[in-house]
Amino acid sequence: MRDRLSAYQMKRRAGNRAGSRTMRIVLALTVFVILLPVIVTMIWTVTGRWPWPSMLPQSYTMRTLQELFSGSSPLYEILWGSVIIATVVAILGTLIALMTARATEIYRIRGRRLVSWAAMLPLIVPGTVFAMGIQVILIRMGLGDTVTGVILVHLVAALPYCVFIMTDITAAVGNSLEEQAQLLGAGPGRAFFDVSVPQLMPGILSSASMAYIISYSQYFTTLLAGGGKVKTLALVMVPYIQSGDRALSSVYAVTFVGSALLVFFIFEALIHRIMRTES
Amino acid sequence: MMKKKFIALLMAVLMVFALAACGGGQKDAEENTEAASLSEMSWDEIVEQAKGTKVSFYGWGGDENRNNWLNGTVADYMKENYDIDFEYVGMDINDILSKLTSEKEAGEESGSIDMIWINGENFYTAKENGLLYGSFTDQLPNTEKYIDTEDPETLNDFCKPIEGFEAPYAKAQMVMYNDSAVTPETPKSADELMEYAKANKGKVTYPALPDFTGSAFVRNIIYEKCGWEQFQDMEADKETVKKAIEPALEYLRELNPYLWNEGKTFPADSTALDKMFQDGEVVMNMSYGPFTVASGIADGTLPETCQTFVFDKGTIGNTNYMAIAFDAPNKAGAMVAINAIISADLQLTQYSELRDLPVVDQAKLSDEEKAAFDKVDLGKGVLTQAELLEHRLPEMPADLVPVIEEIWEEEVVGK
Repeated sequence: MRDRLSAYQMKRRAGNRAGSRTMRIVLALTVFVILLPVIVTMIWTVTGRWPWPSMLPQSYTMRTLQELFSGSSPLYEILWGSVIIATVVAILGTLIALMTARATEIYRIRGRRLVSWAAMLPLIVPGTVFAMGIQVILIRMGLGDTVTGVILVHLVAALPYCVFIMTDITAAVGNSLEEQAQLLGAGPGRAFFDVSVPQLMPGILSSASMAYIISYSQYFTTLLAGGGKVKTLALVMVPYIQSGDRALSSVYAVTFVGSALLVFFIFEALIHRIMRTES
Repeated sequence: MMKKKFIALLMAVLMVFALAACGGGQKDAEENTEAASLSEMSWDEIVEQAKGTKVSFYGWGGDENRNNWLNGTVADYMKENYDIDFEYVGMDINDILSKLTSEKEAGEESGSIDMIWINGENFYTAKENGLLYGSFTDQLPNTEKYIDTEDPETLNDFCKPIEGFEAPYAKAQMVMYNDSAVTPETPKSADELMEYAKANKGKVTYPALPDFTGSAFVRNIIYEKCGWEQFQDMEADKETVKKAIEPALEYLRELNPYLWNEGKTFPADSTALDKMFQDGEVVMNMSYGPFTVASGIADGTLPETCQTFVFDKGTIGNTNYMAIAFDAPNKAGAMVAINAIISADLQLTQYSELRDLPVVDQAKLSDEEKAAFDKVDLGKGVLTQAELLEHRLPEMPADLVPVIEEIWEEEVVGK
């Protein structure tokens, strides 16, 4: 009996080891596939000329960094604009999605199927078509070329994803614990914030990150809704990518990815902090 | 605690919406009467009205040197001399026109675009569709002072009458370039180019039409093979055009087998060809910017051994222009800014900082100004201004361009 067990255990361990080895190779490959382009892009940020088949650039330049920090659109200005817009979109998008999800999943309002379906509509209409149509409406509302207009348009682009994520998690979490809390004497607000919100937190975080990154990378909609006046990182970066300037494109790409990651990092840290002080 | 934060946030958001809605809705009736009388105002009155205002210039934003020149040199000049806040906004011309169309559709009377960087077909469409303010160049003192008003390029843009709707901004001219360390020879005609392509089989190509540069290259071949005069007043009828350019089509088909990928496909646009040249995949490149090579060498993106060349019979040159939008919120300011940009002062900085051909008439310059232009060091690997102007051919009518692009696609690609 004992022998058999240990044989079984050994087999399992061996299997685990083999499994972890394949896992490790897959992991290494994934990291390689992601990291290699990032590294190449980072080298390109200071590259002058890099013709085939040289392994390393033949000349280096600092003009890209100069342009980034002291060029015609100062970095802090456009970064600030992008981050503010994307953060507002992330917060609003998640709030709206949370309310939509509760309405359809918990309160089971009439016509909830229609609401869920309508929330996905922006995915069907191409962004360019939507942007050109909405521009006329924004101008009539007096919101053309304003940050508010840009936020509204980004919200529409982000909402399908937010609603999808929040609907899933709300359905999974349900409201039985919240009801339990209310039975025990908690008010509806307290029951929601102290019982449901911590459970929903993973969904809230992914929905906010998703909305953030969607807003952060909008180009055409920002261009039309903001009329070029509302400056974001994507708005400055895309013309350089289109004009084929590899070094400048790279320097903006690295800034783009880096700043998005940094903001996520701060987001997470803040949320953890709030959660800790709450509990 | 969470709840309070939530409510505070909601309130803040609602307030932002309310504020924005109030701010944007109002329209100024006064502005209309102002615009109407602008054409009767004296120049001094216009300058006075423009004082302390803001001017937004919209145009392509993919050239960092130009962005810096406009937001640096030009903006400083405007602030110092006219107390105007000048801002350059990077936007593709198609997006600018679609924005203006939307504004027109929405009945907007005061938009956000003051002046536009424009030419050719886009100018023609914008003018036809009423997206431009109107005739204003006669009112600018610097038109008379610095511009050759009889020059065909001042009167017509791609053979379409300008009628004062736009003022010249900079001159461009088609050039070709290669790396003398790779191929020392510089083809001087279409026939020499054929020999060059045969000698460097698979390493020559041009951007697929309707790319701006590729299209200009094909028009240049047409001029080589069919002469340029007959096209200046040709009707944009497909059969007529096809008949006229047949020798050029024949030449291009004959060239195909020696091109990159045997002419079955072409690089999608000039930026793709630029990268191929930088990577050494092709041996020859072309540009509508006559001093591209100098900027490339200065930036470090091109090797120092690059050389520019044109055909002996000449290459196509065009002028690009500045126009005022129909719903420009600050038309007076735009006029003052345009007047400043066509001055010898700013044209000189454009020439020295961006290496763009100036639009000022050399004959109208003072000796001092002339000397300043002559002193500009253009950099390496380029032709002089005089050499370029000697080999300069006029553009075709704007409406022939799309017709030729269509014919090229049917008759040349993969044939």
